[in-house]
Amino acid sequence: MTLEEIKNVIIEIIQDIDEDADLSSLNPKEALRDQLDLDSMDFLDIVMELRKRYKIQIPEADYPELASLDSCVNYLGPRLQSS
Amino acid sequence: MSSYSLIIIGGGLSGLAAGIRFARFGENVLILEKHSRIGGLNSYYYRKGFLLETGLHAITNFAPPDVKSAPINRLFRQLKISRQQVGFHEQFSSRIYFQDRPTLHFSNDFNLLKDEISRHFPESIDRFISFVSEIDRINAFVPGPHVSARKKILAALNNKLLTDMLLCPLLFYGSSEENDMDFNQFIIMFRSIYQEGFFRPDGTMKDFLQLLKQKYINFGGKIRLKTGVNNIISSSENKSFIQGVRLHSGEEITADFVLTTIGYPETLKLLNNNTSFKKNKIDSLKGKLTFTESIHILPAETKNKITSDQTIIFYNISDHFRYEKPAEAVDINSGVICFPENFKDLPEKDIFQLRVTHQANYDIWKQASINRESDEYVNMKDSWNQKSVKTVSKIIGNYQENVVYEDSFTPVTIEKYTGRAQGAIYGSACKLKDGKIRNEYGAYENLYIAGTDQGYLGIIGSMLSGVSIVNQHILGKV
Ligand SMILES: Cc1cc2nc3c(=O)[nH]c(=O)nc-3n(C[C@H](O)[C@H](O)[C@H](O)COP(=O)(O)OP(=O)(O)OC[C@H]3O[C@@H](n4cnc5c(N)ncnc54)[C@H](O)[C@@H]3O)c2cc1C
Repeated sequence: MTLEEIKNVIIEIIQDIDEDADLSSLNPKEALRDQLDLDSMDFLDIVMELRKRYKIQIPEADYPELASLDSCVNYLGPRLQSS
Repeated sequence: MSSYSLIIIGGGLSGLAAGIRFARFGENVLILEKHSRIGGLNSYYYRKGFLLETGLHAITNFAPPDVKSAPINRLFRQLKISRQQVGFHEQFSSRIYFQDRPTLHFSNDFNLLKDEISRHFPESIDRFISFVSEIDRINAFVPGPHVSARKKILAALNNKLLTDMLLCPLLFYGSSEENDMDFNQFIIMFRSIYQEGFFRPDGTMKDFLQLLKQKYINFGGKIRLKTGVNNIISSSENKSFIQGVRLHSGEEITADFVLTTIGYPETLKLLNNNTSFKKNKIDSLKGKLTFTESIHILPAETKNKITSDQTIIFYNISDHFRYEKPAEAVDINSGVICFPENFKDLPEKDIFQLRVTHQANYDIWKQASINRESDEYVNMKDSWNQKSVKTVSKIIGNYQENVVYEDSFTPVTIEKYTGRAQGAIYGSACKLKDGKIRNEYGAYENLYIAGTDQGYLGIIGSMLSGVSIVNQHILGKV
């Protein structure tokens, strides 16, 4: 998967969690939580959805790596390369 | 022998919510429900062609769709339920009626309650407002030691009557303790009832349960009805590790995790073959507070004859409001009168219902029900119903001669259909906030509790409990 594809996957997952979220103007460097009306319960959904789709395990200690769109892509890049 | 990632004991609201949450991510989960129908305390039954709901006076936690952080919206997001699928009909308004005292009205607009307090309790309004801003700042979900809500409110408001009146609806709608509740629980309920408010879905409880069941099945969840769990099996090497469950039929099913929603003392009973929980410990954990409920069906015209412009009336006609196990079979000095049709924009019907709840004494009802040959239990139901109708008529006007059909249930009925010990709707007074169950060696490693005895109850509370225990302890760990 390319980095661009990974980014799109994340956006698609977030859109699925919150249909009304406006994702067109997301700043990829800023924390997702500060830009979206989502809480920690919702963030667990991103982890679980990635696991369901790509069978990747994200340990709890790594959750902070998913803070912004850019950090998601950086973290997931090597892990999703093969799929 | 079949095996699952998660077995959920109980197909009530917390079990269904937990199941949907887990199945949503493709995990393999089985709900085991003893009864022939899902829903538990909040279910329905048929009599004489009428569909009668056993729970659902009103759903709490009303919030508009744009308040994303509101519990109801978070819950629906977590379960992937859309608000359109459920439908929202807000209450008209409700009131707290204490005889010979000023009445307090409240609605889904919190300002109404503030105005009422400033009108009838002018000396307390400033204190009330600063109390509200104090509790607004508290995170009530952080587990902590038990703090008496009554003492806190009394200290803040310095008015016993106002304290009793504000506590009355909250105790009736969710306290497992006599005359009091934990302060955090109070804050959660204060928000869900006074600051957010009541609504009803488009359909009946049956429709709501159907929606949940369909969600669950569509995500791949499995459910077995008429399948009671007889005991929970722990490993012989490690007494704190659960291997699975044994059904009443003798069949065994293994699981990585077990989530119980049937209550704390009820669960200890199922664990009893491997650890020795003393019978008196289990008995002391059983809830004491229980209720009778009667449902009266009236022709639509009767609506004009009685005071029925409100949704729920919480009343008390004695000098001191008591929320405790009564000395008699039923305490008609206080109760809840609910008009389930009085929500905005519900379709017109040719009948309307009245539902009345009173505190009751389990032991007296149980004693009367033991001898099946005698009519004692049935006669007792009749005579208490008549006393209740008489009292309620004084508050809302006479409706007795118009009743088309009526039915009532007692603590014994609740115990029989839900397995809740002593018919205690709000469960044990001892809550397991962290979701863990302990034996003499420590906490069980893969057994958790959700629903009523985790500490969150009511329709929304128990569902949130199911979701949050799965999130915290089970999702991602299989
Ligand atoms: C008359 C009445 C009115 C109510 N009104 C309202 C209201 O207006 N608003 C509101 O928010 N809440 C209301 N409630 C409260 C609400 O119904 C409950 O708080 C909520 O449904 C509790 O859900 P639960 O999942 O914790 O427990 P339960 O519903 O008790 O679920 C437990 C399930 O486990 C099953 N079970 C038990 N033992 C076993 C076993 N050994 N094996 C397999 N299955 C087993 C039971 O049959 C049951 O289905 C009302 C309740 C009642 C009784």
